[in-house]
Amino acid sequence: MQVVQSSLSNKITGHIISSMHSPIENTDICLWLNAVATSRDKSAFTQLFHFFAPKILNISKSKLSNKTLANEVVQETMSNVWKKAHLFDESKGAPTTWIYTIMRNVTFDILRKLQSNKEDNLSDDIWPMVEMAEVDDEPFSDHLEQKQILSVIDKLPQNQQEVIKGFYFMEMSQEQLAQHLDLPVGTVKSRLRLALIKLRGLLGVNND
Amino acid sequence: MINHHPKIELLIQYVNGELPASISAGIKIHADLCPKCNNQIIELTKHAAETSFAQEDTLVGIGSEVLSLKGDEPEYNFDAQSMINNITDMPAETELKVDDTPVSITLRGVEYELPNVMKHMSLGKPAQIGKLSRSRILLDEGHIHSSLLRIEAGGSIPEHTHNGYEITLLLEGSFKDDMGEYVAGDFIVLDGKHQHQPMSELGCLCYTVVSDSLHFTQGINKLLNPIGSFIY
Repeated sequence: MQVVQSSLSNKITGHIISSMHSPIENTDICLWLNAVATSRDKSAFTQLFHFFAPKILNISKSKLSNKTLANEVVQETMSNVWKKAHLFDESKGAPTTWIYTIMRNVTFDILRKLQSNKEDNLSDDIWPMVEMAEVDDEPFSDHLEQKQILSVIDKLPQNQQEVIKGFYFMEMSQEQLAQHLDLPVGTVKSRLRLALIKLRGLLGVNND
Repeated sequence: MINHHPKIELLIQYVNGELPASISAGIKIHADLCPKCNNQIIELTKHAAETSFAQEDTLVGIGSEVLSLKGDEPEYNFDAQSMINNITDMPAETELKVDDTPVSITLRGVEYELPNVMKHMSLGKPAQIGKLSRSRILLDEGHIHSSLLRIEAGGSIPEHTHNGYEITLLLEGSFKDDMGEYVAGDFIVLDGKHQHQPMSELGCLCYTVVSDSLHFTQGINKLLNPIGSFIY
C-alpha cells in the first residue's frame, strides 16, 4: 500500500506544476515592504495599501458581517504592516503569508473582544510574529509537493477532500477513515477512487 | 513519542483563526512539541495566504463597496487617503518586545513551568479533590471551560464519558487509559463516543478544554458528580 501511495503522489507532483494558478507578485510586495522598512516610504506603503486593503476588507466583511469592524481590521492590519515592516524577513517566508498572519491575528483579537469581552490580545501568543520559519527536520516530507497538491485538492467535492486529506496527509488507513468519518469502508474506498480519478483529470495525468 | 495529533480540519480552522482561544492555545502547545504538525501549519498558512490574496479579478462585484481594481485606485467604503495618512504618521515599532520570563504554577508544592502561549492568561485559585488539583484558566468562553489539571502519582479519574468534547494536552508526565499510554505533547480529543478512565502512575499535568460536564458511567461513581463539575 505504502509503495502505491508514494508512486501515486509522485505522479501527482510530476504534473502539478503546470496547473498552478498565476502566482502573486511577491517581488513587488517585498520591494514595497523593504522601502517602508528602510526609508518609511509613503508611496510604497500606498501601493501596499491598495493591493491588500480591498482584499482584507472583503475577507473581514464575510468573517465579521459588520462594516465598522471590517474597516477596523483593515486599519489595524495596515497599521501593523507600517509599524513592523522592518520585522519582515524574506528568508523566512512569503510577504503574503506575513501580512495574512497579521490580518488573522487582528481579526482573532477583535472577535474575542466581541465574544468574550476580553482585551487580552492573545493572538500574538498563539501565533507569534517572530517565529515563522520552518523547521527542517523531516527529510521525507516534501512541503512544496504538499502545498501544490493542496491547491488542487481544494477543487474536489467536500466529501472527497476529506478522504484524500485523511489518506494522504494524515496517513490514516481506509479502516481508520471509515471509523473516523462514521462511514462504511466501502464508501470510503469508492470516494477515494472517485477522488483519484478526478484528481488525475485536474492534474492532467494520462493513463499510464 | 507523540502519537496523538489534531486532525487536519482542526489545523485548517486554527490557521484561519476560527477556533476559540482555548483550543487554539492547545494546538499551539502541541505544535511547539511536534515538528510535523508545526510544518503542516506553516504550509497551511502559506496556502491560506495565497488563497486569500490571490491576484484574481473575482473581486469585482463581490462586495458592494469594493469595486476592485478597475481603475488605478480601488474604491472603499471609507476615506482611504486619510486612513493612509493616519497610518503613515505613526512611528515604527523599533523594539521587539519578546518577554522570555517563564510563567509557572505551583500545585500541591510542585512547581510547573507553563507553555509560553499561557503567558497572558490568568489562572484561578487552585482547588483540590483527592489526588486531583485544578486551576481554571480564565478565558471567559461561555460553556467552554479550560483548566490546568494535575493528577498526583497513583491518581485517576473515574470512568466517564462526555456530552460535548474534551481536549487534553499532556504538558508533563504521562497517563494511560484503556486506549493506551500518553506522553507530553499528545493532543487527545474525546467525545460522547468514548469512555475512559485515565490514571497516572507517576503523576502528570494536563491542559484541558471541556465543552460540557462529564458523565460518570459506573454505578458508584455516579455519586462523583462533584468531580464531574470539578473537572469541567
